[in-house]
Amino acid sequence: MSESAPVLTMSGISKRFGTTRALEDVSLILYPGEVHAVVGENGAGKSTLIKIMTGIYSADRGSMTLAGQKVSVSNSAEAQLLGIAAIYQEPLIFPDLSVAENIFIGHQDRGRIVNWDAMNDEAALLLAKLDLDIDPQILAASLTVASQQGVEIAKAISLDVRVLIMDEPTASLSAHEVNRLFQQVRSLRESGVAILFIGHRLEEVFEIADRITVLRDGRHISTTPTNEVTEEVLIQEMVGRDVSDFFIRTEHPIGERVLKVRSLGRQGVFEDVSFEVGEGEILGFAGLVGAGRTDVALALFGVAPADTGSIEVDGVSVRLNSPRDALALGIAYLSEDRRRLGLSVPQSVTANVTMATLKRYTSSIGLLDSIAERDDARGLVEKLRILTPSLSTPVAQLSGGNQQKTMLAKWLNVNPRILILDEPTRGIDVGAKADVHQFIDDLARSGIAIVLISSDLPEVLAMSDRVVAMREGQIRGIFGRDQATQERVMTAAVGTA
Amino acid sequence: MSDWLSRHRWEAVLLVVLVVTIIGNAALSPFYLGFGNFINLFWLSIEKIIVVVAMAFVIINGEIDLSVASVMGFSAAVMASMQVSGDIPFLLAVVFGILAGALAGLVQGLLIARIGLPSLVVTLAGLIGFRGAARVILEDRSIGDFPEWFDRLGQQPLLGPIPLALIIFFAILAVAWVVLERGSFGRKVYIIGNSADVARYSGIGVSGVKLRLFIVSGLTAGLAGVLFAARLGSVRGSLAEFFELDIITMVLLGGVSIFGGSGTMFGVVLAVFTVLNIRNGLGLANVDGIMQTGVVGLLLLGSVLVPNLIERRRTRLPAPEP
Amino acid sequence: MKVSPATGMNRGSGRLRRMKPERVKELTLIGIISLSVVTFGFLIENYLSGRFFNRVITSVVIVGILAAGQALVIITRNIDLSVGSATGVAAYLTGDFLAANTSTGPLVAAVIAILVGSTLGAFNGLLVAYGRIPAIIVTLGTLALFRTMLSLYSGGQNITADTLPDWVLQFNQVTVVSFGDFDIRLVSLVAVLTGLGLHWALARLRWGRRLYAIGSNPEAAKQAGLPEQRLVFWAFVGSGAFAGLAGFMFMARIGTISATAGAGLELESVAAAVVGGVSIFGGAGTILGALLGASLIKTLELSLVRLPQVSEFWRDAVLGILILVGVLIDLALQRRLSRRPIAAARSDSGSSPPVTVGEHSRASEGAPDE
Repeated sequence: MSESAPVLTMSGISKRFGTTRALEDVSLILYPGEVHAVVGENGAGKSTLIKIMTGIYSADRGSMTLAGQKVSVSNSAEAQLLGIAAIYQEPLIFPDLSVAENIFIGHQDRGRIVNWDAMNDEAALLLAKLDLDIDPQILAASLTVASQQGVEIAKAISLDVRVLIMDEPTASLSAHEVNRLFQQVRSLRESGVAILFIGHRLEEVFEIADRITVLRDGRHISTTPTNEVTEEVLIQEMVGRDVSDFFIRTEHPIGERVLKVRSLGRQGVFEDVSFEVGEGEILGFAGLVGAGRTDVALALFGVAPADTGSIEVDGVSVRLNSPRDALALGIAYLSEDRRRLGLSVPQSVTANVTMATLKRYTSSIGLLDSIAERDDARGLVEKLRILTPSLSTPVAQLSGGNQQKTMLAKWLNVNPRILILDEPTRGIDVGAKADVHQFIDDLARSGIAIVLISSDLPEVLAMSDRVVAMREGQIRGIFGRDQATQERVMTAAVGTA
Repeated sequence: MSDWLSRHRWEAVLLVVLVVTIIGNAALSPFYLGFGNFINLFWLSIEKIIVVVAMAFVIINGEIDLSVASVMGFSAAVMASMQVSGDIPFLLAVVFGILAGALAGLVQGLLIARIGLPSLVVTLAGLIGFRGAARVILEDRSIGDFPEWFDRLGQQPLLGPIPLALIIFFAILAVAWVVLERGSFGRKVYIIGNSADVARYSGIGVSGVKLRLFIVSGLTAGLAGVLFAARLGSVRGSLAEFFELDIITMVLLGGVSIFGGSGTMFGVVLAVFTVLNIRNGLGLANVDGIMQTGVVGLLLLGSVLVPNLIERRRTRLPAPEP
Repeated sequence: MKVSPATGMNRGSGRLRRMKPERVKELTLIGIISLSVVTFGFLIENYLSGRFFNRVITSVVIVGILAAGQALVIITRNIDLSVGSATGVAAYLTGDFLAANTSTGPLVAAVIAILVGSTLGAFNGLLVAYGRIPAIIVTLGTLALFRTMLSLYSGGQNITADTLPDWVLQFNQVTVVSFGDFDIRLVSLVAVLTGLGLHWALARLRWGRRLYAIGSNPEAAKQAGLPEQRLVFWAFVGSGAFAGLAGFMFMARIGTISATAGAGLELESVAAAVVGGVSIFGGAGTILGALLGASLIKTLELSLVRLPQVSEFWRDAVLGILILVGVLIDLALQRRLSRRPIAAARSDSGSSPPVTVGEHSRASEGAPDE
């Protein structure tokens, strides 16, 4: 295979966002007719790499060579013309158009008048080639996610792509659907397309990939043919750091069980999830993106209630149907999506810190006690060492790490008894990360029960008293502090036999 | 001060425009700067600017209410028809008129906050439907002959030179200002306007806030409709028709973002003052009403286009640190 | 409903599923119109006469044309509230030109009106597509602006029928063919043919399909490299052109044109489009549907007033209710169609309000989103 000429060569690609280094001198070669998997933890730089290939970002340094010619891509339409297409976890379809139209809408070469019959026939042929049983004339909105992805693959084929990027295409598919997808990928490979496959589940990667590249912290670690590498080696390369690089949690007693979850489940998302958390305990949740950890958290916070099982707080069974219910019981949830769900960034630091506790500052006639608000905000800003010019500065003007701390301050201001932290250190710099770890430890020592969801495995291991490993919506193991090694937890989370 | 300026650039611009208009107007007419003219300035558009105050809340919350002018007409029509039927004391008819406005707001609010229909469409239907309801009630009649006290309240000064409607406006404005900038409700309105999801994840009852907003918007429009009836001394089905344009323009000109989440009462008050002065000045210069409307339309376009262009120039600069 | 695991398609009722929702909506509208005609036929004496048919068919012309143009814009997730004013401007300017050049024929007059309308539409399109101002604000502004310009131009003078060429006054009566008492008038034929022409263009031309794509999913449209700005611009030009044609019809129908000509038509056109099944969320609906929506509205309007119990003043109230019903049905259809098992539960309410009010244009702050 490496005999043939490479179709796409990325060499020496670097990209920074402010002070965050997303990619540093990464090189990657794609040959026609190969499935090349790229693996790595969250933040390793996979998405940034894809976005540079499809023209959404431009690289700070480095070059891209397509079939021997140096190219620069400034948007996804240009990428498509060059024969580079991408398929995402959430298919980008036109719900109101038919399947056939979804395939052909971007084509420039089919004349000004649509020939419906020819288009439908051609679409049917394409879909049949992929062994997809989809009627080209029905609306795309009525398809399942898996079928929509099939349509996107058909679209890519119709555009004669040379490079097809698949960004975690299996994340929301069932095992059966994954099998079908892989059949389609294989037939694409046979027709000479180079496929860049981003995956989280290692077993899938081993099943489909010819070569595997590992990225870590924005750097290229290794590229190896699949049959020359073992999962253990890959996991070590992905993780790379030692637990000792982290803040180590101090020993301390664990109090009463505050939260008990029994056989919790939500149709098609997660099932039979049971665990307990005690006062002052940090319960870590390890697993891959899409393993259902966030969904369990959303059920506990009342955003997307569970439909089976029970939740007990202080031994009393509770129903959680909205965040208000959860907050009333002292359950707070720090979202993984700071911009969309966590902060109101145009507003001041104070307004964000008091957002979830407005009632406390509201007088009987509905006015806010702004002095008390500022006092509380000031206290938390000092305690969490949030760097801000003033309390009335819009949060948008703070750095990522300080925004993250502001979000933490918002939830600390609630005085929660149970605090769920979803990726609390994602995308923030090293200094802020260490600070956040310190606060989490302080909080636990003050008696708060903490659920820590993180895809950063060393972080989970360093911070947690016990670690829950989740995979595909189920708990695959709960490890005590002394049993929880990187290899054991990762194995449970990625699911090797 | 520079901190204030950097965050209230739009208000500063408005302030300059306002001062220029006032100087220009004063040059046009020697009577312009008198207290009487000042009162008059407000009085002639008093119903609109009462509704502007409520509309500011609605737009900051990320919604829109196109139905306000029709609700004004609807409320006045309900009041007038009760007056004609003569079975109840007129004061009660006034109360029912205002409540009809609140009811209109409630119905639209339920469709928006509970069912989740876009406010643009619901209030567009309201714009047509409540105007239609006013016409159904009044047909082509013009109903006047209100009790003398009612006409007097509408047409003559109450306290010294100040008429009742002006007192009501300033009272509403004061309350609204405090609620928006110091109240818990106002804070929630901003948070929801920025992101309804963030608000929901913070335990804020988003649909409750929206529902209350539309009820208040309807209530205010009802009050304004009744006051307008008092000032005119009679009610027709077409009362306050097309006022929504002026009302929304004043809010947007005040620096309230059509996408919600930003804007201040100070900016809105400046915009109200500016628009009134411009209209007044155009009137002094013998420019007719429809021309004034055109100028307001231009202002509306400019008030969105200019910040858009500024924003675009700013985003060309390197992205801020993540 | 049983779903086959392989494709997620319901196999049993393939034919029904294959029928596009648009067809369903169109057939439903035809059904409702027929049903109301039959019902009124029982309630009103001499209802099913040729005269009444002719009245409906000629009165629907202006709203029908405007609804077609409005649908064009709504399909792209925008809205055009200035069409009433644009109709007025086109009618007045054309009338003014005819008064000065009485030898001008109908075809040239129509072209002038369409050009006037297109120019106004281009102004809207420029501000929406390239100025990135929400359509509702732009067209709310130009609603006032166009009207003002007309008022300035007219100087308060009306154009009266006696100054216009003779053909203008007869134009509305020109009958192409008659079936007994039932006339097919030229104006109706022109309206139907242009409407169907646009319908065909949207269904068959690459350009038309791309308008649907933009309205259906702007994000995906960008990814697919569709020229979004240009397409939205031309949609507004199209809406303006239809408003121009409506202005010509207005002039021919009314004869006397004041500076307030066409006021209020913008709302009626939106109503007709929405009632006709054009989704206010963009991406769905047909011109035929919009024409049928206009027909339903006019049929109800002209029939209801003939009922002794109902006054002509019910018109707007009924219209308001019709819009709400149209949108509610649309929302229900949409929620039923998009049943994505996992994703649906996370996003809270399915679809965001389309016509710009909710759409954020704030620049996201280029952060790595991994």
